[in-house]
Amino acid sequence: MDSVPLVAYLGLGLFLFTTGAVGVIVRRNPIVVFMCIELMLNAVNLTFLAFARYSHATGGAATEQVQQSFMAGQMIVIFVMAVAAAEVAVGLGIIMAIFRMRQDVDIDKMNLLRG
Amino acid sequence: MNSTFSLLPLVIALPLVGFLIQALLGGRVVRALGPKKGKWVMGALAVLPIALGFVIGLMATMALARLAPEERFHTAPIHLFDWIRFAGLNIPFELRADPLSLTMVLIITGIGSLIHLYATAYMAEEKEYTRFFTYLNLFVAFMLVLVLGNNLVMMFIGWEGVGLCSYLLIGFWYRDLANAKAANKAFIVNRIGDWGLTLGMFLIVVVLVRQWPLLGGAERLLSYDVILPHARRIFGAEPVLTTIAALLLFVGAMGKSAQFPLYLWLPDAMAGPTPVSALIHAATMVTAGVFLLNRMSVLFQLSPVASVVVASIGAFTALFAALIAFGQTDIKKVLAYSTVSQLGFMFIACGAGAYWVGMFHVTTHAFFKALLFLGSGAVIYAMAHDQDMRNYGRLAKYLPITCWTMFAGYLAIAGVPPLAGFFSKEGILGAALGGDHARVGAFDFGFYAGWAGLLTAALTAMYMTRMTWLTFFGKEERWRAVPAHHVHEHGHDEAHGHESHAHDAHEAHEAHEDPHGFFYEHAPHEEHEHHHALDGSHTPKEVPPSMWIPLVALGALSVIGGWWLSQGHRFEYWLVPGGKYEVLGHVHIHPEGTIGKLLMPMSIGAALLGILAGLAVYWRGLPSREGWDLSKWNPFRRSAGEQFGYDAAMVETAVDGGADLSRGLWKGVDVGLIDRLVNGVAWTAGQSGEGLRRLQTGYIRFYALMMLAGGVGLLGYFVYRLANLGGV
Repeated sequence: MDSVPLVAYLGLGLFLFTTGAVGVIVRRNPIVVFMCIELMLNAVNLTFLAFARYSHATGGAATEQVQQSFMAGQMIVIFVMAVAAAEVAVGLGIIMAIFRMRQDVDIDKMNLLRG
Repeated sequence: MNSTFSLLPLVIALPLVGFLIQALLGGRVVRALGPKKGKWVMGALAVLPIALGFVIGLMATMALARLAPEERFHTAPIHLFDWIRFAGLNIPFELRADPLSLTMVLIITGIGSLIHLYATAYMAEEKEYTRFFTYLNLFVAFMLVLVLGNNLVMMFIGWEGVGLCSYLLIGFWYRDLANAKAANKAFIVNRIGDWGLTLGMFLIVVVLVRQWPLLGGAERLLSYDVILPHARRIFGAEPVLTTIAALLLFVGAMGKSAQFPLYLWLPDAMAGPTPVSALIHAATMVTAGVFLLNRMSVLFQLSPVASVVVASIGAFTALFAALIAFGQTDIKKVLAYSTVSQLGFMFIACGAGAYWVGMFHVTTHAFFKALLFLGSGAVIYAMAHDQDMRNYGRLAKYLPITCWTMFAGYLAIAGVPPLAGFFSKEGILGAALGGDHARVGAFDFGFYAGWAGLLTAALTAMYMTRMTWLTFFGKEERWRAVPAHHVHEHGHDEAHGHESHAHDAHEAHEAHEDPHGFFYEHAPHEEHEHHHALDGSHTPKEVPPSMWIPLVALGALSVIGGWWLSQGHRFEYWLVPGGKYEVLGHVHIHPEGTIGKLLMPMSIGAALLGILAGLAVYWRGLPSREGWDLSKWNPFRRSAGEQFGYDAAMVETAVDGGADLSRGLWKGVDVGLIDRLVNGVAWTAGQSGEGLRRLQTGYIRFYALMMLAGGVGLLGYFVYRLANLGGV
């Protein structure tokens, strides 16, 4: 518990988030973009968990407030995972529909709304 | 309610019921009984309400005459129902019985019933017989509302109502475009007058409200029995507003009574059937302006400036219209301009302060001008609806009754004693020359108006001689020389005026025999009067009794009416108790001094001079220089025929000027300003859209980058704020 410092978790989260964000921007395959979004979400999850854990550990006396923030950090991760699952389900459905229509899923070619 | 006059509402109700019967049942009755019998029944039903109204009016007048002179003007108003009621204002439907209103009632119903009787025969061949009497009965009802109403608003209802009926009747033969245009012209020109009248009424309300304490806080603000007893003090306290209000009321009178700037609708109004011209455009409706000036005479008594305007405009109109009459070849147009001229005489009297003389001339003029119009109608009827006097001549032989009754009317309008017109005209000239009401500073406008009137009287005698001799006397029977189909089928079609008559007699009008064929195709079997045509084989016949009985009755009135009414100040003391006006006191109609002594010889002399001058020119009939060839006409007469260009100039200014104004508004304001503003808004939106469009690249990755940048930016902002708060 006290062997890994908080900054290591945050650094890993930052690395994962950056990788995801760059992936979302530079890749043209929607499946990879989805994976990158997952990366970003998990980076955020990691950060939440790390903060939750550390506020609990450093708070010492388990005051009611500390207890609550510990639980809140863990709960929000569950929420994010649920939302991510739903998002993947919907997103893959859309990609399937587009593929059926155009035999192609290059996101740069999905530009019907171009001004 | 005063029980003596409780029958008075019936005078209005009867023609109204007659109107409803004609309108709702007329067509059915004529269809059910066949044209001949059905028209007889409906004709009788049209005459009856007016005749009964006359009897009731006569009874009411006799009841009023039994009262003491001072009480005649203070009879209690006859309340019918409440109408407008809010805040401190109450305008009920009330009738007023006083000598002025009952005089008008007798003229309207008496002459009206004679003209209705005449019209039953005159219009007998008309297919839309009941439509005619629908309008005519409605007109009488509105005219009675105008004169009997006890407040200015009721008068206004009648005023607009008679204007409407006048419009409908001028355009009675509306299938002819020219008639429809004449009707529109009358209606539109009258709107200008009505504008003045309404503003005058509003201004009177303003004055009344300002001087409310003098009224004792009465609520029936516009009722005559409330205003008139205090009028002198109320309006005397506001001289400027009173003058403006009087002038605005006179604008209304100018429109309805066809005075100079606005007279131009009346000659065109002759497009209506002749009984309409007699009833509406000679005897009753056009005298509404004189009635208005009499009713609100206190305002004019208090305002010499307004009186100067009234007298000057009256004198100018009288002279101007008399000159125009010389250039007319259409018998009804001569009478129309003569009416305008005689109305000018009435306003000279009103301007001079002798309001009752104005009413006197209204009465005598109603006798002889209705007679002349009905007589001209009889001539037109006998001459197959040809109205051009150049096609008449020696008709006395064929139409003896028409001729000699019209001759009485002619002498009456010329001012030959002892016929009706002599008394009223002499009264007018006397009042104008002798009175000093129409005066600004040292300049006595009334005096000059009187001289203009005297000159006009001579001119009147002369052009009426021209009309009478061209029609009834002379050496030739000119219609025998008229080639077949020479005359327009549209005998009453006025709008062609002189332009189309400029053709030589032998130039047949084949080119535009039916100028309005576009608008109206005659069905061959249609019973319509246009089918006769005057040609050499035509024989004029005397008119049926239902047409000459009114002529004889009006002839008798024209002969003795003026004499009887002027005996012992009968008419004067009837309208003005003791002959003393509230403000002006006694208005002399017999000037002092030399002019007073010379007045009667002068007015008789003017009449005789005019008649002799007329006889000298027209004794033998139509002079060759007044024939069909307009180029041989005297330039004066030619330009008189064209109203000295006034009508054309007015119409051009109004119509073309209006078009120019509208075009300017369209091009300048609408297109230039409003459209630019609206289009500018749209253009701005379009341009900003065009700019923002470039952000919608269609690349999802670009959107993602933007979202990222936005998120980073937002976070950066939070951090910055946090740092400022000292949190980091």
